[in-house]
Amino acid sequence: MKTPELSACHELEALLPAYVEHSLPAAEAARVAAHLPNCPSCQLQVTQLRALTNDLDAALPEVPRTVLRANFMAMLEEQKQLLKPDAAVAKPVAAPAQPEAKVVSMWPTAGLNTWMRVAASIVLIATGVLLGRNLHWGPQGSTEVATAASDSNQQTHTQLARALTPANGQVVSASDRIQLVNNSTKETEPGDATVQVLLNTLNFDPNPNVRLATCEALYRLRADPRVREGLVHALSVQTDPNVQITLIDMVVSMQVRRAVPQLEKLSKRPDALPVVRAQAEAGIGKLI
Amino acid sequence: MTLTSTSDEELMAAVRADDLDQLVPLFERYHGPLFNYLTRLTNDRDLSEDLTQTVFERILKYRSSYQPTQPFKAWVYQMARNVHADHWQRQQKLRVADTDVEDVERTGALRGGAFSQMRVSNSHDDLHEALNLLPVPQREILVLNRFQGFGYEEIGKLLGCTAEAARVKAHRALQALRKIYFAN
Repeated sequence: MKTPELSACHELEALLPAYVEHSLPAAEAARVAAHLPNCPSCQLQVTQLRALTNDLDAALPEVPRTVLRANFMAMLEEQKQLLKPDAAVAKPVAAPAQPEAKVVSMWPTAGLNTWMRVAASIVLIATGVLLGRNLHWGPQGSTEVATAASDSNQQTHTQLARALTPANGQVVSASDRIQLVNNSTKETEPGDATVQVLLNTLNFDPNPNVRLATCEALYRLRADPRVREGLVHALSVQTDPNVQITLIDMVVSMQVRRAVPQLEKLSKRPDALPVVRAQAEAGIGKLI
Repeated sequence: MTLTSTSDEELMAAVRADDLDQLVPLFERYHGPLFNYLTRLTNDRDLSEDLTQTVFERILKYRSSYQPTQPFKAWVYQMARNVHADHWQRQQKLRVADTDVEDVERTGALRGGAFSQMRVSNSHDDLHEALNLLPVPQREILVLNRFQGFGYEEIGKLLGCTAEAARVKAHRALQALRKIYFAN
């Protein structure tokens, strides 16, 4: 059983560092000050915290050996030499001025607040609902989609794979494939085979919109380690700028640091749009 | 000639535009603090010199990804954290590989290495020894706050939490350090 003094000490313990550094609000500081004269244990803590703070302040900084500067200068010289021939080649073929382009991230970036995430999910859901309504108007698609929606709970990954790949000769329309992809992640858990099916769709589906929807579905299954691998791989093979930008946003948002080499390649790919290259560069800046 | 010193961000913008010499003043401003930060995290001076060098190599390599609007200090410390994390991960992988081999002799050698590492740290003063007994996240927050002069706002941005959360974490770390430091 705790005595009132002990529980008061326990409660005040967390406040003591702030009390010592004089950053406690006045009311709490007064509470601590009132408690201290009657409590040798808290007094000792305050004395120790003051001594520790003084020792930390007095600690001398670690100083590197001069070899660090020498190594740095050598490395800098090397880089400058590398730059010289490049500069000579690059100057005559001055790149035409590229128009400023702004890319708005679809995924919440690392520092964004939760409400932004919530807002983003609302937009995603709204898009899904709209898409779903549109799909019901199609005479052929409506039955398939209705089946897909009603069966989504029991839908197995093999059915999904069959529906998404035109191997059975019956080609499912792109909009229906989007719907299938959107439904695929509703009842799945990380580790599910659906992830592999979606990764295949991302790699092989001919329609960029289906691939975009697949990106979103994979983002919902991002807890699965295969998703990170798959996204890094996809960065190297996708050529559609929308898919490229979406993938960059995703790897940045998921902090997939091993995507940096792929982003680097993408930022230098001559066939990539300037806006994609800029986005890849910005992504590197956030991941390195 | 102007006497006002050029800001970090202006210098880095010049480096980004391939004026690599502008990295020299940035090196002068930051290599000491970065070395300090890394040494207090790793407790290994030689390694920290290598890691500091790696940070500057990465700055050059990825210079085009620097956004002139972002504070250079936050960018470079984020990079230093990542360099340290990469090193840590490599070490972990090496350790896992060693266990897989189940080579008794090698395990013995590893333990011997660990003990010699402890002896090195024993030769440091008590404060550093106590700091080294803290878990890395707690040590890092104290190093940033006490040795690198980072405010709670800056620490929060670096660690991806609020300033208030950073303050609470720093205070907890200080209490943990106090318990170790005055244990005897």
